[in-house]
Amino acid sequence: MTLSTRSRPSAARRPRAGTAPTTGRRSRQARVGLLFVAPMLVLFTLFRLVPTAGAFLLSLTDYKLSGEWSFVGADNYTRLAHEDLFRESLLVTLTYVVVFVPMTVLLSLGTAMLLDRVVWGRGFFRGVFFLPYVTSIVLAAVIWKWIYDAEDGLLNGLLHLVHVGPFDFLGHSGSVLPSIAVTSAWKGFGYSMLILLAGLQSIPRSLDEAAMMDGANAWQRFRHITLPLLRPVLFFVLVIETIQAFQVFDAMYVMTGGGPVRSSYSLVYLLYDTGFKYFDFGYASAIGLTLFAVVLAVSLVQRRFVGRED
Amino acid sequence: MATTTRRPPAARAGRRLGGAARLTTPALLALTAIVTIAPFAAMVFIAFAPASGQTFPDAFIPTHVTLENFRNVLSNSDITRWTINSLIYSLASVLLILLFASMAGYAFAKKRFPGREVMFWSFLATLMVPFQATLIPTYILVSKLGWVDGYWGLIVPTLANSQAVFLMRQFIAQLPDELFEAAEIDGASEWRMYTTIVLPLVRPALATLGVFVFLWHWNDFLWPLVIGQSGEMQTLTVGLATLQSENVPVNQVMAGAAITVLPSLLVFGLLQRYLTDSIAATGIKG
Repeated sequence: MTLSTRSRPSAARRPRAGTAPTTGRRSRQARVGLLFVAPMLVLFTLFRLVPTAGAFLLSLTDYKLSGEWSFVGADNYTRLAHEDLFRESLLVTLTYVVVFVPMTVLLSLGTAMLLDRVVWGRGFFRGVFFLPYVTSIVLAAVIWKWIYDAEDGLLNGLLHLVHVGPFDFLGHSGSVLPSIAVTSAWKGFGYSMLILLAGLQSIPRSLDEAAMMDGANAWQRFRHITLPLLRPVLFFVLVIETIQAFQVFDAMYVMTGGGPVRSSYSLVYLLYDTGFKYFDFGYASAIGLTLFAVVLAVSLVQRRFVGRED
Repeated sequence: MATTTRRPPAARAGRRLGGAARLTTPALLALTAIVTIAPFAAMVFIAFAPASGQTFPDAFIPTHVTLENFRNVLSNSDITRWTINSLIYSLASVLLILLFASMAGYAFAKKRFPGREVMFWSFLATLMVPFQATLIPTYILVSKLGWVDGYWGLIVPTLANSQAVFLMRQFIAQLPDELFEAAEIDGASEWRMYTTIVLPLVRPALATLGVFVFLWHWNDFLWPLVIGQSGEMQTLTVGLATLQSENVPVNQVMAGAAITVLPSLLVFGLLQRYLTDSIAATGIKG
């Protein structure tokens, strides 16, 4: 899902050119093919397919750390529906998505458009904006936690210069999610920026020039030329960032521990605590599947829209 | 490529708005670049500042530069062990994923065998399942194998990387079939064809994929957090989070942070062009 739509999966289905394989050759090929795929197939079955099926089965049990379990049907899901903690964490996650996605997409689009227009130094700036992407979100969280610090932090130091503050960015329920979103956007916008820049550069210059001759202003050209032509790429970026935002956890774990008073306690945070603090594996699996359902829904919406495009 | 189609500056200079844009674009870029770099600069300043200098303007006026934070974090924490763990985790994963993914990619691209399509599409379909959704069952499986809190448990489950298989198949599919037919007529064994035709010809793809796999594992957090329960089995990311949560002085945390980011910066410095180009071309992402 994180792969670009430009790849051509049908390429391998093309029959081998020329000679028609004999039966002996065909069976040898089959044997060799299976041998080459075997290591990955074993790993894949064991650590992707089995856990995926396992998540469904576990979510119907009350599996505990001891390994004891009994079948409880849909109990875990009814519990989810009635648990305040789950509802709260879902709300926190949705709020985070609503704050983070527009922020990061606008930042990526803005920088991509600037890079597309700049005559000199494009490679340099592109490198600078991409730099945070190669670091870990834990590193970003550690640095930004200091930046937001109420006493020593960079941001309050700057605000102090204009006699404002101090403000405890991570200490208030209203500002904690935007502050974390800024951290994640800083860490990750370089990726979407590169995708959007590639999209922008594939738009023929002549279109823009023709519109300029006709007297279209910058906004009109953006609205009627750039935006429609960029739509598929923009949509790809939007979906990738949305799916990623729903999985938010690392930054919250490091920066706030879910606080203050669970106002940055996301769905994955709840999953982590349920699984590895309370060892309630069955219930935690049900939370995991809820996340899967949400991500799947987002991808299906993408299908729908991209389908309409053709 | 796009630079050749860029309109000449003269065409823009004629427009009033275009003239202004010529100045605002670099100005905005420079401003964004400063904001992007500032957190890294802050990290470096604080890491080299004396223990008292962790407050904003002070830390940025380096009265004297000291290595004491690095010395302290190295002696007071398990950071050396974490670095070794991160290196083992990342390098072993790179080697094994490149090997297994290129083998599977070769089979999917050039061999016909029963179940090929079903296998390939089920590999791809699991890209839709977020890792967190299967975290619990994967953990239970690993604990049944007795691999919790060890290198096997850390590394092996993360080798099932469908994105790597997909990319290798795309690249190997582009190699002309005639190469393999000629080698077959010469009596080359299948393993020989794989090592002497496939691997050398997809070396650029292997290099790109290798760099990405390294970064994914070096920066990975949730799986190492869950699986490395003792202090000794933590990776650098998990260790850094531990440092942050214990009452370690900010200067030392930042010194630790600077150590964790070093390999990423090295990779970035050497291969920046390479990384950015391959993202634009394939959309590869961790």
